[in-house]
Amino acid sequence: MRFTRGLGFSLLALGVALCASLALGAGDVTPLQVLRWVLGDDDGNAGFVVTELRLPRSCVGIVVGAALGVAGNLLQTVTRNPLAEPDLLGVSAASTTAVVIAILLGASVTTLQVWVAVLGAMCGCALVLAAARLRGVGDDPIRLILAGAALKGVLTALVSLVLLLDQRSADEIRFWTIGALAGRGYQELLGVAAPLLLGVLLVAFLSRPLAALALGERVASGLGHRPRLTRWLTLLAVALLSGVAVALAGPIAFFGLVVPVLARALVGPDIRRTLPLCVLLGPAVLLAADVVARLLVRPSELPLGVVTAVIGAPVLVAVVRAHRLPRL
Amino acid sequence: MLARPLGRFAAAILVPITLLFTGQVLAADGQLRTLDTAHGEIQVPAHPQRVVTLYEAALDATLAVGVEPLGAVATRGGTDVADYIADRAQGVAIVGGPREINLEEVLRQRPDLILASPFLAEADYQRLSRIAPTVVPKHDAERPFGDDYWRKESELFADALGRHDQIEAVFEQLDQRIERLRQQLSPEGDVRVTLMRWNPQGPIVMSDKVFAGDVLRRLGFVAPEIAQTLSSRPHTDMLSLENLGRADGDWLLLATLNAEGRDALAAAQRQPAFQRLEAVRNGHVLTVDGQLWTSAAGPLAAERILDQIEEKMLGEPAADIAAQ
Repeated sequence: MRFTRGLGFSLLALGVALCASLALGAGDVTPLQVLRWVLGDDDGNAGFVVTELRLPRSCVGIVVGAALGVAGNLLQTVTRNPLAEPDLLGVSAASTTAVVIAILLGASVTTLQVWVAVLGAMCGCALVLAAARLRGVGDDPIRLILAGAALKGVLTALVSLVLLLDQRSADEIRFWTIGALAGRGYQELLGVAAPLLLGVLLVAFLSRPLAALALGERVASGLGHRPRLTRWLTLLAVALLSGVAVALAGPIAFFGLVVPVLARALVGPDIRRTLPLCVLLGPAVLLAADVVARLLVRPSELPLGVVTAVIGAPVLVAVVRAHRLPRL
Repeated sequence: MLARPLGRFAAAILVPITLLFTGQVLAADGQLRTLDTAHGEIQVPAHPQRVVTLYEAALDATLAVGVEPLGAVATRGGTDVADYIADRAQGVAIVGGPREINLEEVLRQRPDLILASPFLAEADYQRLSRIAPTVVPKHDAERPFGDDYWRKESELFADALGRHDQIEAVFEQLDQRIERLRQQLSPEGDVRVTLMRWNPQGPIVMSDKVFAGDVLRRLGFVAPEIAQTLSSRPHTDMLSLENLGRADGDWLLLATLNAEGRDALAAAQRQPAFQRLEAVRNGHVLTVDGQLWTSAAGPLAAERILDQIEEKMLGEPAADIAAQ
């Protein structure tokens, strides 16, 4: 019952966010004009703005939101840490670093970039796992986040260095330091289709073993699962999804944290319930954030990463300040 | 007994050092001139021999009046002086970048005159002016790109070099050429030209008051409204792709900083909102070198800009005009 309600709410939120994303933008096309165009009365401009600008970026937003929401949920489950998420643990930063270095070496093809992003995210995940296994770090959510922050700091500095060496214009640098959806579309989506599909398949296959793992290693083994393999495959899925998200929209701060927190608040901690919710809630929250990013500084736009950071930071603090950090 | 030689020895050491740090390095003939700068009136040698420029526009003005500086800073986003001026500045040593001056390299040149940017930090000025008289143009914090701002800078630098007449002649020539071109290009003053930097997330439109925009305005070209209303900033923020129409014009000039004009144009071409622009549909898109168009300033840069406009707008359709 609770799950059905949560699912219904998430669907509704996604529908509302998608409508807002198609109806609102930094330009002059008003929701009323969009409505008229939907009803078949086109003034030439509304149709173009909706089909060529707002719809493609909304589609990218849906994929990025779902990928990051799910990646965050998986990371939290596998590290048993409610604060874990690709951006905070440095997975996104590792992915960004890999892409930036590839661009420096002359890779301009989007399809190549996405695999480079996935590879970088894999290295980031391996480092996270190594940190989580260190005595003292893995047992304490805050310490793992600190380890992630340190990794992220090093990688961010590295990116800045590469970009300084590369002599590209400051505007181009910005996309790889703070992500955005503007100007992204179907071409980019096609480029990430393969790793995305792989990630989705892995997640579908992993939800049950992960739920068992949440009960403890022994119980999971008793149920016939293989905890170590599950962990590795989960991290592979996280790497695929984070890499896809970075290749599509650059690094989006804090996002993987907010969505699973919302999902757990709606349907409880069981990953078999939170995962489908993250698939719906992720895009809903991301599109909402993107609409805010479009409306605040017209005729320009804010980078999406700025908005998610502003929304996400208080959530992080709230989770940390909760009376007891829920152990997953 | 020992005091006198010691005193002599000390004087031999100390006098040059104190001279070095008083900012009053006497010129070869010992004469000084007074100059009005951002840091008040300063005294410069009447005939400076060893000049270091720490600002792209200062290098431009110095070469324009026929003086070759010993040292200069690299252009923004590069490791050397800007391409447009490289052949004239072959013997010039690089003493840092536009934002990070290498004081040791400056000192090594033993300059008797330093020409710097109006945006030079106070702390840097204090250090530099102990090496040699440092000329910093005044600028209005409210309106840093006021009328003729870059010409006034060029004139101040030329005055510092004792070459006032030369710079006057240079500008007179430039103005005549601009007037001739204006008659050919925009006699009615109604041709709309947009200077922008393209990004996949949206373009940045350059103000019509900053150097290249100012040259375009004198040619009778009209910048889009969003570029005209900028008072204190050199360019707009990244414009939303939904508002790309506000940057439309009869001609679009795409400036690229990394000499990859074709890549930038190809990236822009992939954006349907870009293809819809009137200038693009008419094939009136030109890629231009951002080092020259958005980082440089000065009479030589202005001449190069006019060369390129002449070649691209009046000549045969250039190869890099967007194919239909």
